[in-house]
Amino acid sequence: MITPFQIAYKNLLRKKVRTLLTLVGIMLSTWVLVSLFGFNRGYEKALNRDIDNMGYQLMVMAKGCPYEAATMMLQGGKGLRYMEQSMVNDISREPEVDKITPILMQAFFDPNKGESGGIAGYFGVDPASYPAMKPFFRFRSGGWFHDESAAEVVMGYEAAELEQRAVGDLTLVPEKNVRLKVVGILERTGTQDDGTIFVPLKTLQRIAGTSKITTIGISVKKDADMARLENKLYQLKDVQVVSFSQVKQTIMKLIATARVMVLSIALIAVLIAMVGVVNTVLMSVLERVQEIGILKTMGAMPGDIFRLVWTETLILCVGGGIAGIGFALLFARVTDILVRRILPYAPSGGLVAIDGRLALLTLATIVTVGLLSGLYPAWKAGRVRPLDSIRREG
Amino acid sequence: MRLIAVTTISLALLTCFVAASAALAAVACDLNDADRDVPRLFPNSTSFSSIYVSIEKRGGAPLLKRIENRLGTSYLPLYAPIDVPYTLYEIYRGKEKVGYIHGVNQKGQFGGIQLFMAQDLNGRIKTFYIQKITGASAGKFRDPKFTRKFVGLSLKDFDAYDPVTGRGTGKIAEITNPAPEMETDFYGVLRGLKKNLILMDEFIYSREHGKP
Amino acid sequence: MMTGSEMVLEARELSRVFTRGSESIRAVNNVSLSIRRGEFVSFMGPSGSGKTTLVNLLGCLDNPTTGELDLAGRNIFGGGKVLSERKLTKVRRELFGYIFQNFYLIHTLTVRENVALPLAFYRKPGAEAEVEKLLKMLGMEHRLDHLPGQISGGEMQRVAIARALVNSPEVLLADEPTGNLDTKRSVEIGEILQDLNRNRALTIVMVSHNPELARLGGRRIEMRDGQAYDV
Repeated sequence: MITPFQIAYKNLLRKKVRTLLTLVGIMLSTWVLVSLFGFNRGYEKALNRDIDNMGYQLMVMAKGCPYEAATMMLQGGKGLRYMEQSMVNDISREPEVDKITPILMQAFFDPNKGESGGIAGYFGVDPASYPAMKPFFRFRSGGWFHDESAAEVVMGYEAAELEQRAVGDLTLVPEKNVRLKVVGILERTGTQDDGTIFVPLKTLQRIAGTSKITTIGISVKKDADMARLENKLYQLKDVQVVSFSQVKQTIMKLIATARVMVLSIALIAVLIAMVGVVNTVLMSVLERVQEIGILKTMGAMPGDIFRLVWTETLILCVGGGIAGIGFALLFARVTDILVRRILPYAPSGGLVAIDGRLALLTLATIVTVGLLSGLYPAWKAGRVRPLDSIRREG
Repeated sequence: MRLIAVTTISLALLTCFVAASAALAAVACDLNDADRDVPRLFPNSTSFSSIYVSIEKRGGAPLLKRIENRLGTSYLPLYAPIDVPYTLYEIYRGKEKVGYIHGVNQKGQFGGIQLFMAQDLNGRIKTFYIQKITGASAGKFRDPKFTRKFVGLSLKDFDAYDPVTGRGTGKIAEITNPAPEMETDFYGVLRGLKKNLILMDEFIYSREHGKP
Repeated sequence: MMTGSEMVLEARELSRVFTRGSESIRAVNNVSLSIRRGEFVSFMGPSGSGKTTLVNLLGCLDNPTTGELDLAGRNIFGGGKVLSERKLTKVRRELFGYIFQNFYLIHTLTVRENVALPLAFYRKPGAEAEVEKLLKMLGMEHRLDHLPGQISGGEMQRVAIARALVNSPEVLLADEPTGNLDTKRSVEIGEILQDLNRNRALTIVMVSHNPELARLGGRRIEMRDGQAYDV
């Protein structure tokens, strides 16, 4: 007819504002917690995706080069270091190497970009080996170069849009005034490839007047010992090796520091919420000492009362927890945007990945912590004696 | 040592990714550095605010059709879907609005052309600025000797001149191509300018004067 | 089953001493008495005479300091043993129903839910059917889904009586059941108790200040200074 659950539930309705505030507290802390857990997984997944989209796991560059190469766009290609293209052949002999491709990065100054000029960056790639590294590239129109030294370019989606280029249009390499024909425009990838202009390696070498390259991309055989290959590459003269797994680890380490801080804040939020739970439930127990005593005259065992009060805690935690997870799911995009503003580097794609398992895990955490904090009020309620509630007469 | 190297490289790559994404995020026609560019393009201005206008919001398909009719679609494509917001800079001196700056993309022979004009409240051009243009003699188009010729012009001046055929009379017909080897881009600039004036007329001037 | 003449409650030299600081008060002093099944016993006496304390001992709401108590032929207190809260609860829910001056209804539950409340913890076979039967018998069938705040004091006490009877107790303990009611309602409640005693052969142990009400009981016990005297 009436279950202990209904009694507990109706009791929470007695002080609606107090119950609501407690629920909001739990909700907020669940929200933070589940978003944080989701961020952990989502960020790593997104980072992996970005790194997988590089197409290669190792990058070899001339010593001192990586920094300059990375800031090439900003500094106008000054200080680029080169290495011999023959190194590609040397490295390709290593048994761990699956695919290998030489790359030449070049930047030219364009005086007619912005008020005081800007930089145009080009990516010289080998038509024979580079496309195989990026099997996920899809062409919006056109295709790869017609031969290894064609005067042609393939443009990333955004680069083409910025330059208003279609297949068949011409482009001009600033500084050198070399005309190149657009033969392919890529679909959007959501990576830095979108802004890249690809040129056949030999063509770019000719334009830049060099026979060298700046970078070698290496994809490693499945199950091969990457660390061993890395060590061997380090033996090469004047070479810097960038392993994307290492880069990933480093980025993850940087993120981990921030994460620990946020996690501590989240834990404090959970603690505060739980203090709220203890307060709410304990208050409601103290207010109801009389009533609890009467329940005992009706035959309620200490255990019954304990369970009754614990059920109230459970309802608060499950309700607040589910609401928090709901909000986290609903506002995952907002969280994404906020996190992106804070982080130094945010990979493309969703950063906050919340799935059913994660939601359940968070809910279980909140409920467990909640039930632990409900122990004391429940125990105290269980110990109320019927006489405490009844008028005493000497 | 190696850890430091890897950390440096990681940070460098971060910088690179962030720089690349920042540089390419905006394909719409914005000023590269509005805080610096606005005072230069609109002397005596004290502040500005950016508003975002799209054809879809201002009038949808009928407006798009009207604009295309005024442009002559086959020669002057908009290069932007109906829902893409145009950035429009409202220029103030003190609290008083004194004009607008607006830019459009136009296709050039070797790359995109980005044309900006500053207009007073009557739609007259105060400054004409080509933010980006590609070509061996592209600098001649950006030269003040050329851009100054557009000061004082307004949409009316295109009544007597057709930038698609290159025929007509009046002030615009008098402007000569500073780089004859880049004819495509010369007409691109004129067409882009007309497009910019028409868009501004539809977005601002004809509204303010209660015209349809 | 026991017959009506059997003792349902038998106290021998029951005492309850309260200690306050260095002072000890003998609230119940060596009381011996027996109550038969089906008796209606009223405890009277001035404030502080120990009548409530005695009834609390008889109703297993409290442990006596010394003395023995048999309930339905079973020794409950005796030989100085102190029963745990659990054991006391077990005895109480088998044998007693309680009503109090303040009714103690739960304000968020309806009349029907209040009466059914004891069943959430303990139910004798067939008790569920009792809820509406009792409320009907007490003239409350039109108030089943009302909240306690929507009914009168007299009605609240009827609900409390129904709640006390839902698990068919042997004894109804009533502590000042009309203390918060006006004369008319007091008479009504008194009549209900008398009916229950007569028609259901329910044993009633009542504490009351009200001589009119006390007179309803077939047997009256006067309490003075912790001692009980049959009137």
